[in-house]
Amino acid sequence: MVNLTINGKVVQAEEGEVLLSVIRREKIDVPALCHHEAVEAFGACRLCVVEITRQEWDGWCDYVTSCLYPASDGLIVNTHAAKVNDLRKTIVDLFLARHPKCPEIIELAAEYGVYSTTYQTVVDGDNCILCGLCTRICDRMGFHAISTVGRGHGKEVSPPLHKAPPDCTGCLACAQNCPTSFIEYSAAKGFLTIWDKKFELLKCSGCGKETITKVFAEHLCQERKIPFEYFQICDECHRKQLAATMGEITSWDREAAS
Amino acid sequence: MNHDLSKLPGIFDRYPKHQQSLIAVLQDIQKEYQFLPCEALEETARVLDVPLSKVFSVSTFYNAFSLHPRGEKVLRVCVGTTCHIRGAAQIQEQLESQLNIKAGETTPDLKFTIETVGCVGACAKAPVVIVNERYYGPVKVSDYKKLLRGK
Ligand code: SF4
Ligand code: SF4
Ligand code: FES
Ligand code: FES
Repeated sequence: MVNLTINGKVVQAEEGEVLLSVIRREKIDVPALCHHEAVEAFGACRLCVVEITRQEWDGWCDYVTSCLYPASDGLIVNTHAAKVNDLRKTIVDLFLARHPKCPEIIELAAEYGVYSTTYQTVVDGDNCILCGLCTRICDRMGFHAISTVGRGHGKEVSPPLHKAPPDCTGCLACAQNCPTSFIEYSAAKGFLTIWDKKFELLKCSGCGKETITKVFAEHLCQERKIPFEYFQICDECHRKQLAATMGEITSWDREAAS
Repeated sequence: MNHDLSKLPGIFDRYPKHQQSLIAVLQDIQKEYQFLPCEALEETARVLDVPLSKVFSVSTFYNAFSLHPRGEKVLRVCVGTTCHIRGAAQIQEQLESQLNIKAGETTPDLKFTIETVGCVGACAKAPVVIVNERYYGPVKVSDYKKLLRGK
């Protein structure tokens, strides 16, 4: 365990734990668009920047991405120093220039008092901030279906060969973790479409509601040894059934007690 | 498009079959075919047991790889800082207008491709144009004939 100071308060952290996780534990709000606890930090969005210093640094400060910087004894962290706010302001300003129509970015920028970018706007830009969360999460899921393609100005997230990705299971983990809701998908009439790939959806045998894709369910069955029947019923119906089972158990209890 | 993929097994045989061989294998395929055919990428992913998405990511990252057939002569105009200062843009324009294609494109007869590259480490000879493997520099705008010889 190490002791460090965050915004004037002495807190404890595991040696080497990244600052962002300590900051979150302290319930301090620091924007972090490319971070997800399930995957390795990436340092792409730069928004989680904080000011650090140490007693012996003699007033000298440094600015680091808290999602990557490890906690250590005696570190003094300021998550909202004036300079930090300035830096974040510049970052959201740049994001706004590149993604002028992105609602999430517009909202974040407004929080920092940026209502229009001071840079030149990218006219036909999209809403992907290239944070790489989707690809890292897909890798983490074990599917490796998508990746970043190209580099520099032309960099984008795409399935291989710009065709429906053969390894995609339609699990939606990428889309639901995208900070700017850029990854589109649609579900209609028993089918889910994502990355131009169409998947059959399972239907709950209880209420008829559509649940997860058949391919993803089959994958989970195989990898996690879950019986397929488990996926033929939705969570709500599972809970309803659970109430019935639990009811039975309590009545047995009563019988046993009497 | 169908390509003769018979050269692939020979290329795969040169390297151990794991992820670390990816770039070397892609380089050899690029050399053999002058570009990376889609089918070859799929085959590479299968043989090296690397996700296809990773193979695609790598093959689109490096300038040395191309996913489209390239011309017999690949003219690479260095647009690095030094070459830029010494007039790379004019040379690029001249070649583009002579061949009637833009950088990154190939003439319909598959004879020429123009590409731009970052500093190639020959700044002393700036501005530099590389034709296939051969370096030319300092190049003048009027040198285009020499560069395109055999047109
Ligand atoms: S699609 Fe979304 S998650 Fe993926 S890189 Fe772009 S912004 Fe990030
Ligand atoms: S939906 Fe497809 S691309 Fe997205 S995380 Fe799941 S497997 Fe990967
Ligand atoms: S969360 Fe740290 S750089 Fe994005
Ligand atoms: S900039 Fe062209 S060789 Fe260095």
